[in-house]
Amino acid sequence: MTELRCNDPIIEVHDLYVYFYTYAGVVRAIEGVSFCIERGETYCLVGETGCGKSVTSRALTKLILPPGRIEKGKVYYYPEPSRRIDILALSEEEVKKIRGNEITYIFQDPGTALDPLYTIGYQIAETMLVHGRIRRIKEGIPHAVELLRKTLIPDPERRVKAYPHELSGGMKQRAVIATALANNPKLVIADEPTTALDATVQAQIMELLRKLKKEEGLTILLITHNMGLVAEMCDRVAVMYAGTIVEEAPTEELFKNPLHPYTRLLLRAVPNPLRRMDKLESIPGTVPNLIYPPPGCRFHPRCPHAMDICREERPPEIWVNESHRVACHLYTGKASLPG
Amino acid sequence: MAELKKFLIRRLLTFVPTLIGATFIVFIIAVMIPGNPAQLWAGGIKASKQTVELLIKEYHLNSPWYVQYYYFMKNILSGKAISPVTNTNIWKSITTRLLQVTLPLTLFSFILIVAIGIPLGVLSAIKRNTWIDNVARAFALIGISTPIFGIAYILIFWLQPHGLVALAGMPLPKYKITGIPPIDALLKCDCHYLLIFVKRMWLPAFLLALAGIGVITRVTRNSFLDAMSSEYVVFMEARGFPKRRIYMHILKNSLTPVITILGLMFGGLLAGAPIIETIFGLPGLGRYLLQAIYNFDYLTLVAGVFFVAIIYITVNLLVDILYGVIDPRVRY
Repeated sequence: MTELRCNDPIIEVHDLYVYFYTYAGVVRAIEGVSFCIERGETYCLVGETGCGKSVTSRALTKLILPPGRIEKGKVYYYPEPSRRIDILALSEEEVKKIRGNEITYIFQDPGTALDPLYTIGYQIAETMLVHGRIRRIKEGIPHAVELLRKTLIPDPERRVKAYPHELSGGMKQRAVIATALANNPKLVIADEPTTALDATVQAQIMELLRKLKKEEGLTILLITHNMGLVAEMCDRVAVMYAGTIVEEAPTEELFKNPLHPYTRLLLRAVPNPLRRMDKLESIPGTVPNLIYPPPGCRFHPRCPHAMDICREERPPEIWVNESHRVACHLYTGKASLPG
Repeated sequence: MAELKKFLIRRLLTFVPTLIGATFIVFIIAVMIPGNPAQLWAGGIKASKQTVELLIKEYHLNSPWYVQYYYFMKNILSGKAISPVTNTNIWKSITTRLLQVTLPLTLFSFILIVAIGIPLGVLSAIKRNTWIDNVARAFALIGISTPIFGIAYILIFWLQPHGLVALAGMPLPKYKITGIPPIDALLKCDCHYLLIFVKRMWLPAFLLALAGIGVITRVTRNSFLDAMSSEYVVFMEARGFPKRRIYMHILKNSLTPVITILGLMFGGLLAGAPIIETIFGLPGLGRYLLQAIYNFDYLTLVAGVFFVAIIYITVNLLVDILYGVIDPRVRY
């Protein structure tokens, strides 16, 4: 089992496997993912579309709907440093008390995340109602106004009565963030919160998240494919590829000293905020079909440094220093990265 | 609210032309049919010339069609029109049959459609691809595709010996508030009469509703499944909502197409009433209009169409208002 290095973790994931049983076959979406998130930090999961970032984040509260299934692994949640809850061992009823209450989500597309038939205020109040914070929807409306004010929506008294279609995309995402904050959560999982928004609105939303994190003392798990956001927001990053974590490091370290061949190629494929680049390169090949994932290291068909062992054996996770780990055969024992 | 007012005014303005259009078409068809209505009404070949002359004069049969139409509408609306065949007041004979039999019958079956079709559709969607879903879908298919007269006789044959259906008589309560017997009985809390009414009406209403139940079950199922795969459902899961609450949200979201079809279906129920009323010997408007057709009593027929059209248009107006109540995105 991979060793996790966190002083005061809020969440620990050990060796998580999630499969989807589709008509086409079993999609091995997540295989052997392990990581931990420190209380109070912003942790990033980064990777291409379909690499399992969202599935990982949803598995944290057992939010895997059929035909998906969590095959094995452990998810530990620490509401306080000394109290440990084994999330995957909880019943659906018990986990619902945590989900949306202590651990909340912000979804990618605010245009579809809200029920079009109810007002913003109603939906925020409803979130509080189902967790017993209030007894009737009406009681929650003043709270909803406060939350909308907190998320910097202009004229919250009026917006609380607005329906989702009456708000702009950015405004809707603020409302979604307000629902996520409604019950004073400890951990907020932001699943590509700005992907569906305009660039200018993106910056505003990220600014808002940063402000809220400071004010509310939140821990944030940010899921994104945007390296710029990672550099801007995150304390630590995990790079995912085809359902596995290939590298994890503090943000600056990752940008300065990427070790895994995939991370290196990825950083060459996106504008690196820390380095001057003349040309962006694409990674040759395509993301593997996860019904028939490549044996051994899942990246080997596209890896410029692939060796025989990569085709046969899954690489172990190696801690190259105190806080930097990589899953690559190049770093087992003596081998150092050529080139 | 101001929008709704404007919408209602706009709809009322189209109300009148629609009514004129509906009655006009039936009237024209009746008038254009070759033959001598006065002769028919007076009793056929043996009718006395004098009677025929009187009828022609009374009903302006020698005038052009638009004059006939004018007098007809005038007499109907003033409540003075007399049927040349039955010699009764058309307005009165139609409204009593409509209020006492056909409207209770169609309302009863409408309630059955809503009360059975929607829950069955929801259940079918929630338990999709299980035996419950399969049974519900089979029931829906049978309901849609079986002719009611066939299944009616089978059920009568089967249930009648057990005393579960009453096949004769159409008792009326002694009091009158709205003129619609079951509603009056409800207002008076007259359980005894309600029981009699249900015993007489449940099978006709159920059979009239059967096809509708099938259609609504399928529409609700599909619409519910559509709504179920929406992202906001996952987001509700992500907020820890209990299942029941999530289903209520989904149901509300899936209701719009169901209501559209329910509105259209009400017309179908009125159209299906003649068959059911004939099978069960109910003295309703549908059967009365059938008789009117046999007797070439087109005045009664057109008047009947007039009332049916009023009901149909009103129901569709209600449906349009309901859209706005359910979905805030609807603009009138």
